[in-house]
Amino acid sequence: MRRTAWTRWGGRLITLLTVAGIGLTLLPYFWMLSSSLKTGNEVFELPLRWLPREPQWSNYPNALTRGAFGLYFFNSAVVALAVMAGNLLFCSLAGYGLAKFRFPYREASFRAILSTLMLPLEIVLVPTFLVVRSMGLVNNYGGLIVPLAVDAFGIFLMRQYIKDLPDSLIEAARLDGCSERGIFWRIILPNCKPALGALALLTFRDNWDQFLWPLIVASKDTLKTFPLGLAQMEGIDSAAYHEIMAIAVIAMIPTAVIFLLFQRAFVRGIALSGLKE
Amino acid sequence: MFRQRVGWRVSLQTRLCWAGFLFVLPALLHLIAFKFYPMLEALRLSFYKYDLMSPPVFHGLENYRTIWNNPLFHQSFWVSVKYMFGVSIPEWFLALALALLLNRKMAGRPLIRLAYFFPIAMSQIVVALVWKFMYNPLGVVNTVLGAVGVGRINWLATEQTALPALILIGIWRGIPLFGVIYLAGLQSIPREYHEAATVDGAGPWQSFVHVTIPLLAPTILFVMVMSLLSAMKVFLNPLVMTEGGPNGTTRVLPYFIYETAFAYHRMGEAAAASMVLFAFAFALTLIQLRLLRRGGVE
Repeated sequence: MRRTAWTRWGGRLITLLTVAGIGLTLLPYFWMLSSSLKTGNEVFELPLRWLPREPQWSNYPNALTRGAFGLYFFNSAVVALAVMAGNLLFCSLAGYGLAKFRFPYREASFRAILSTLMLPLEIVLVPTFLVVRSMGLVNNYGGLIVPLAVDAFGIFLMRQYIKDLPDSLIEAARLDGCSERGIFWRIILPNCKPALGALALLTFRDNWDQFLWPLIVASKDTLKTFPLGLAQMEGIDSAAYHEIMAIAVIAMIPTAVIFLLFQRAFVRGIALSGLKE
Repeated sequence: MFRQRVGWRVSLQTRLCWAGFLFVLPALLHLIAFKFYPMLEALRLSFYKYDLMSPPVFHGLENYRTIWNNPLFHQSFWVSVKYMFGVSIPEWFLALALALLLNRKMAGRPLIRLAYFFPIAMSQIVVALVWKFMYNPLGVVNTVLGAVGVGRINWLATEQTALPALILIGIWRGIPLFGVIYLAGLQSIPREYHEAATVDGAGPWQSFVHVTIPLLAPTILFVMVMSLLSAMKVFLNPLVMTEGGPNGTTRVLPYFIYETAFAYHRMGEAAAASMVLFAFAFALTLIQLRLLRRGGVE
């Protein structure tokens, strides 16, 4: 009897905490949306208005024309898609090589690859910049993309997945006279779609909002990614929060849509990684 | 006949050996060019005086001495340490709480999960700007706190509150991420274990302490290390929200390095400071690799 009362109150408490937690989690989104539809005066009005009097849809076109945001978004998309393509190709190649072949120093190579996980850009920022500069890649798309095109995490993910594919699949193709390259394209890749999907989603998310690296390597305005544009806009006119929030809402759309559509693959990928941020 | 067959096999083996190596080669070359070489270059540079203009001059341990004698470096170091643990420790517990919650059977679970995991999709710059806006003296944080009687505070411009304000954002963003990892760990625990514990008369709490925690231990250790590593790298928030201020109270180590290198062009000193950050990452990664191996991933 006491036990059921306990459980009932416990259940209510948990429900309450769940709702409160959702409120705290989603408050920034709500605030962003609501502010993006206010007038410039309403944004800092006191007492605070939770909703705009009249939604100002014109904030969106106005904000987009403030900087070259069309271009900034285009640059972000180019960087994200190119880095994603690079990772899908090179990481699956390397993952396959490490998972299904024997060659000298294979384990050592794998360990060396994994060890680069402790060399995030923040640590090798200065020398990476010097390397990229010596390659003549400062202030062009190559410099924005090439240094990010391979990530050890992707190799790790693909290797783990390909390892579990049956060897007989590969051997059968080999006996049929399929070339090694053909096996990779026609047997391996089609069989690791889930891993490729998770890797594509995570790479896109991580590179769509590249900030630090473009900040260092692209000083030309025409190469800026949208986070740089946003930071710049905020620095120039921090009172224009209604328009800044409008850009922020637009910037969220690609990742939000992807997340809503592929929530499972997304979550699975993160569960596999734990180390993406 | 026999010999021919052996010859064929050996040649196939050699061919496969090369094929495997060639599959790995592009990625390996890339990592050598953009990770290993820069790392060695950073080490070398940390012994040189270099301002990007004139050629580097060998400087011995001078850079290390300079940063050691620079009070701003010490301040940065401790700001980073405070930030790392300030963000990570709450994350360890709150993310686990979230995962336990989402692992329960309840009405509307898919929607609840979606709501909690949504911040994972938000880009870092958007997070920084939205929170900066919310922390504004006239912003929503002060309004909510005003309702419970807290006076208006300029959170990001006050020495005592700027770092805690950034820490709160780190936690807000980290909980869903690590919650997902915990949840995956929880779901990999066979239901029978809990059932067996219940049959033996264990309550929910006992079942949690004696079944869940031990089986989740590898995940817990993994989350502990990963949360520290990712908090160590924080850079965008201090840059966009506080510019390291007020009075350097949010100047984390990556920000210190960035400033030294790209604002003051003291590449050698920046490289030396990078080595300190690297020592951090190295220690944490060693622990992590050991845990991964014990967790049976390798």
